[in-house]
Amino acid sequence: MIVSHPNEQTVRDALRQVIDPELDCNIVDLGLIYSIHIQGTKVSVAMTLTTPACPMQERIAMGVQSALLNLDSVEEVDVDLVWDPPWSPARMTEEGRSRMGIYES
Amino acid sequence: MIQSDRNAKRSIAVTLSFVAAGTVSLLTGMCWLIVRPDILATYHYNQHVIAVTHLFTLGWICSAVMGSIYQLVPVALETNLHSERLARAHFLLHLIGFTGMVWMFRAWNIKGVGYFGFILATGVLVFAYNIGRTLTSILRWNVVAVGIASALGWLVLAILAGLLVAAAKLWPISSFDPIRQMHAHAHLGGLGFLMILIVAVSYKLIPMFGLSELQNQSRAWTSLALLNVGMAGLFVTILFGSALKLLFAIVVISGLGLFGCELIAILRVRKRRIMDWGMKYFLTAIALLAPLCVLAIVLSSPGVTLNDFTGRLENVYGLIALLGVVTLAILGMLYKIVPFLVWYSRYSPDIGRMKVPALVDLYSVRLQTIGYWLFLGGLVLTSLATLFGHAACAQKGAALWFASIIVFAANMVKISHHLFKPGTESLPMNAALKGVS
Repeated sequence: MIVSHPNEQTVRDALRQVIDPELDCNIVDLGLIYSIHIQGTKVSVAMTLTTPACPMQERIAMGVQSALLNLDSVEEVDVDLVWDPPWSPARMTEEGRSRMGIYES
Repeated sequence: MIQSDRNAKRSIAVTLSFVAAGTVSLLTGMCWLIVRPDILATYHYNQHVIAVTHLFTLGWICSAVMGSIYQLVPVALETNLHSERLARAHFLLHLIGFTGMVWMFRAWNIKGVGYFGFILATGVLVFAYNIGRTLTSILRWNVVAVGIASALGWLVLAILAGLLVAAAKLWPISSFDPIRQMHAHAHLGGLGFLMILIVAVSYKLIPMFGLSELQNQSRAWTSLALLNVGMAGLFVTILFGSALKLLFAIVVISGLGLFGCELIAILRVRKRRIMDWGMKYFLTAIALLAPLCVLAIVLSSPGVTLNDFTGRLENVYGLIALLGVVTLAILGMLYKIVPFLVWYSRYSPDIGRMKVPALVDLYSVRLQTIGYWLFLGGLVLTSLATLFGHAACAQKGAALWFASIIVFAANMVKISHHLFKPGTESLPMNAALKGVS
């Protein structure tokens, strides 16, 4: 039996399914994902949100877990919500910026 | 690490019930103005004027604001509501209290007003206790928390003053001029509770929605201090008919000026450049403070006597304050709060598992835009009609308002519809993502 492991691109594509509903943009293009570590079938994600006051923080973090656990090759997900460094529009992708009308201050 | 799911514990039923009661009250009030446009076109305190004013202030404004506070305060201050059971009890007391009061005012049964007023006041005390206990659980008091707490204090005083005004009509317990008592009571509610609350929550919500930050803490604190000091001074000087009323009006206007400066500073550095219509409604409400402040200066100037013209100016002042500034601010915030609540309840458990809509997909932006222009048209028309005492024009303005609120209600129904018929889709890309490398 061949044991498959996820790669970073697969994980990023899965995370594009998770949106910030207020901003109508996925968390990857928003630049909320700080780092992805893959160890076998375990994925650790360090991420932030646009503001620590975001009332969706728990649900978005849960959404990250759900999206990754949907992948056959992922059995364990660790989500770390971090606030340092704080989010800035500079972290957004070009697509996210044009979609949101957000510019770098 | 993921925190405990604070929001999941919060029910949306209480807030939606308050908003529904408020919207029905607003529509009823607009119908009332269409049927009796003389309420706006003449300066005369009769039972219709008092009844419809309380329908707007208690039925619409307080319902929408109190319902929103049950959601906003825990979000803005990152804590939990003290008791949802008390919030439900408050809704019942509020509903019985304000409908009975409006009915009794309409029938000019002051004893009845007192009975229902007592029920309403009990509800307000329950509300103040519940939010007060919620505030005690926060770790760090900031300008938002202090602003909300002081607004609550003014609300309790406004309700007590209202009961005293009603009692003074039955028994000789007050030697103050009845008109001054009413004006003092109205300012406790409109300025003390509503305006200070709008200022306080703006310092949290405008940065949150615009992806910005409070720019100057001391400016925000000073604005709040000036508003509170000005309110206290205005209450006393209005009640005693003192010439110092102008001085305290200027103190309040200075506080509002600092608030405006801080908002501009927050918006200048916002990272989210696109402004949605919810924000446009809210910021238009804030801009309407400028003509309101001019009227406040004119009406509080020493030597201004009550005559037909100044009486109509007072009506315009009240109209712009309650149906301009406060109503537009509430409509704007409800376009942010209600979609969020429905989305949170219906779609947030599916995030990452299903394709879920964004908040903006829950309502019609086209209707929202139409509603905005209808409302502004109604405001301009009714303000001019009130100023010049033109009943037919007031009726047309009220009809525009009614149309605007119908559009708003249609959007609220559209949003609520998602609770019963969700628009989720399974994720088509999952299959392609499975098992890689």
